[in-house]
Amino acid sequence: MSLQRLWQMSYDSPTVDILRNSHYAIPVIQGFHLLGITLLLSSVVILNLRLLRLGLTGIRLQVIARQVWSWGTAGLILAAVSGFFVFLPDPARYAANTSFIVKMIVLPSAILFQYTVYRRAVQAEAAAQSGERRLILPLLSLCLWFGVGWAGRAIAFLG
Amino acid sequence: MLPLFHWIQNTSWATSFRQADLLFPLVEGSHILALSLSVGLILMLDLRLLGIAFRTEPVSRIMSQVMPWALPGFAIVFLTGLLLFLAQAEKVYTNSYFRVKVLTLILLGLNAVFYQYRYYPHMGEWDKAETAPAGPRVVAIVSLLLWMAVIVCGRLTAYEL
Repeated sequence: MSLQRLWQMSYDSPTVDILRNSHYAIPVIQGFHLLGITLLLSSVVILNLRLLRLGLTGIRLQVIARQVWSWGTAGLILAAVSGFFVFLPDPARYAANTSFIVKMIVLPSAILFQYTVYRRAVQAEAAAQSGERRLILPLLSLCLWFGVGWAGRAIAFLG
Repeated sequence: MLPLFHWIQNTSWATSFRQADLLFPLVEGSHILALSLSVGLILMLDLRLLGIAFRTEPVSRIMSQVMPWALPGFAIVFLTGLLLFLAQAEKVYTNSYFRVKVLTLILLGLNAVFYQYRYYPHMGEWDKAETAPAGPRVVAIVSLLLWMAVIVCGRLTAYEL
């Protein structure tokens, strides 16, 4: 089955119809999307402030990484699931939106980076306890994740 | 209040800011994304009080580490929020989600002041305990729940404009 037909089927399904026509469903789901984003970005900010040695230097990197990594993942899952349900009732509108397409390119890049290169570097740094300031890695992580956030905001404004 | 907000919303700067193609979305985006710095860092403190995260660190250390970034974070969120409000003062003022949000923010302020006066002076007694006593734990739970409500209400406010 082609992707096009899959979306058409989902679009026509009664469940998605309820979602689309309810006055409150999408705004409330958007509220949870924002909660997920706040959770995810707070984890990103905390870890990167520490790597940049701009803040939270009184707590060991190992402790910070262990604690905030899990809530970052929880935030990502909440944002992704709620985001999918915002997308579902109106896929054609989003598919035609340049900002959405940019977001869907930057988001997988951010996930890939964060859970491979970045994660390994944080683990190595936490084990070594060199206390050195890291620059490229945290800045790239901040740019990618806040890039996803700004692209998301642009969906409504720039199209 | 309504005539005042009506006047503010119709001043020339409010009108041009509201209709700005780029500035308005930038301010709104900053308002949302700075939540990670403000509410996100307060989350660290709340979870520490509850004994869910950072149990090996004294509460006082988490507080002193978090505040230098959380306070500027709150300043950004508040100032951008004020601009967003002034640009659409009349419409926002009559928005019921916004009213719930402001009420919730006032409760959050009182909650923080209550912690500061009632529990902060005695923090030395349980600073290193893995879980704070019941009182501060209730403050932390109230903070977590109310911040969640503020964020959801904020999103709903924008939908009704």
